[in-house]
Amino acid sequence: MASVIGVPAKSSGVGGSNVLRVGKVFRAVVLGAVGLFFIVPVISSARFSFTGSSAGFSFSAYSKLLSDPQFWSTLFLSVKIGVGTVTLSLAILIPTTVWVHWKAPKIRRVMEALSLLPLVIPSVVITLGVITSFGSLPNIIMGTPVILALEYVVLALPYTYRTLDSGVQALDIKTLVEAGQSLGAPFRKILWWVLLPNLKSGVLGVVVLAFAFCLGEFAVASLLSFTTFAVYLVQIGQTQASEAIAFSLIALLFTWIPLSIVTVVFSRRAGKKSRRGGGVLMSSQSVTELVELSE
Amino acid sequence: MTVSSLGEDRESEGGFGGNNTSEPIKGSATRSVVRFLKYGNWRRFMGVLPFIVYLGIFLLIPAISVVVDAFKGDNGNFTLSNFSIGFSGVYFESFKNSIQLSLFSAVISTVVGLLVALAIVASPGRTLRAVVTAGSGVFANTGGVPLAFSFVATLGNFGLVTELLTKIGYNPYNHGFSLYSVLGLTIVYEYFLIPLMVLIMIPPIDALRKEWVDAAASLGATRIQFWRYIGGPLLAPPLLAGFLVLFTDSFAAYATAAALTSGTIPIVPIQIGSLISGNVLVGHAHLGNALGAGMIGVVIIAAIMYGFVQRRASRWLR
Repeated sequence: MASVIGVPAKSSGVGGSNVLRVGKVFRAVVLGAVGLFFIVPVISSARFSFTGSSAGFSFSAYSKLLSDPQFWSTLFLSVKIGVGTVTLSLAILIPTTVWVHWKAPKIRRVMEALSLLPLVIPSVVITLGVITSFGSLPNIIMGTPVILALEYVVLALPYTYRTLDSGVQALDIKTLVEAGQSLGAPFRKILWWVLLPNLKSGVLGVVVLAFAFCLGEFAVASLLSFTTFAVYLVQIGQTQASEAIAFSLIALLFTWIPLSIVTVVFSRRAGKKSRRGGGVLMSSQSVTELVELSE
Repeated sequence: MTVSSLGEDRESEGGFGGNNTSEPIKGSATRSVVRFLKYGNWRRFMGVLPFIVYLGIFLLIPAISVVVDAFKGDNGNFTLSNFSIGFSGVYFESFKNSIQLSLFSAVISTVVGLLVALAIVASPGRTLRAVVTAGSGVFANTGGVPLAFSFVATLGNFGLVTELLTKIGYNPYNHGFSLYSVLGLTIVYEYFLIPLMVLIMIPPIDALRKEWVDAAASLGATRIQFWRYIGGPLLAPPLLAGFLVLFTDSFAAYATAAALTSGTIPIVPIQIGSLISGNVLVGHAHLGNALGAGMIGVVIIAAIMYGFVQRRASRWLR
């Protein structure tokens, strides 16, 4: 597919060139301008975090940040929420995706569509709904970050479900399960000893995506008045710009690095199957929906 | 709303002729329901019940309660007054701003994203393509608070670009520009919308079949003719679908705008946010719900159009 268009049609005589071929100048201009747009904010942030608005190079923004106890406590809170979200997501999604592929492959499409529902309803609206419908729940749920973890499982679903689903898709579930059954193993054991080890990369994907989501999520956390990592970042930003920018540079790197790892891991796997450059594309798409990562 | 072509690809793996099984035949519906209950087919779906229940509790109940409460007055009786306030005055302006913001940012990113996708798909090397796609995957997921602050460092009052422009004698802030306006937000949103569009458009461009390109070339089609009669009509549906995804994305975005403007810019998500945080209008406790219902309405319209376009898009690009 990919190679088709890139290669100029040498065979065609009259027309001379492939109609799809794009001029070198065009390509350089487009990619150069767009590339600049993406790199300049990173450079600006780096500069701002080292100098502030005044001249002179210093690490003070970073050292202030790292010695700020609230930086660590909010980070810790977000990590706790992340661990809860990841655990709950895996506990729900692994049995579900395995079951769908094993027993009910016909409803795969329906399930996928359901998993995308959270993208359709804006997270601000979901938060409003959570307040109106669960407002009267006991404090142990609504008054603690537990509610955040419970909601994040849903909000991260568009990314986590598909990742795991494509992991399960790569296995021959039926054969594995039936082989296990014919040896007399109960479903629980099959899941734990046979399927889970085979699902490693899918599980890794879910862990990274769900965790990154939890670290970056702002809307729900701030509207339910929990001071998570992202919420604290905004609070700092009100008064100390250079610290907030140092903070967000760190946050960006912390999202980009794991995402790149997931992209590479998945493209290797997809690459094995299709042995094409499309692998990277496939995997980037599976993380594409993370756009609303922090919305 | 999603990048759908991935799903389309997968369908081909589903098996030969497997697609026909889902073809509904009128009249057999009731029979199949009976069969479903009688022969215990329903047990097959028991395994997904926990998932469905969870989704129902934590997504559907909140969403439905927003819409239901939008029709309630403070005393719990049915009323439409929330909507009459929600769609007038400052709130009407917010809807206008929101839709304007989403339209602008979606149009720009659609055009730029398409150009980038064309540029890399047509490039001979595979490395460039791999780098751009991987980069798009990562940048498309960059949103929210960190993004807002890195743009403050770039185009804010003391940002690097602002400074450079001032040095060459053009301070944008003296010419009516502000990062903390709808225009500023549009620029910031491009940071995650353009990569998303690149990812959406690469598969359809890839799928322009070699035979079609060759046929056009061997019949002596010029580049303009190719795009006018073949490429354009084929790429239009996925392009439109992508546009709708981007529109919805920027329409729903909250975090970036909230962090950038400290919650002062009049767009709908921000208004709902400020109503939630306690700036409630006396006598209209459910005004936020009406705005929320309005947002759901706009998104549903976009989703329906998306489904429509998607059906056309998938006809050729299998």
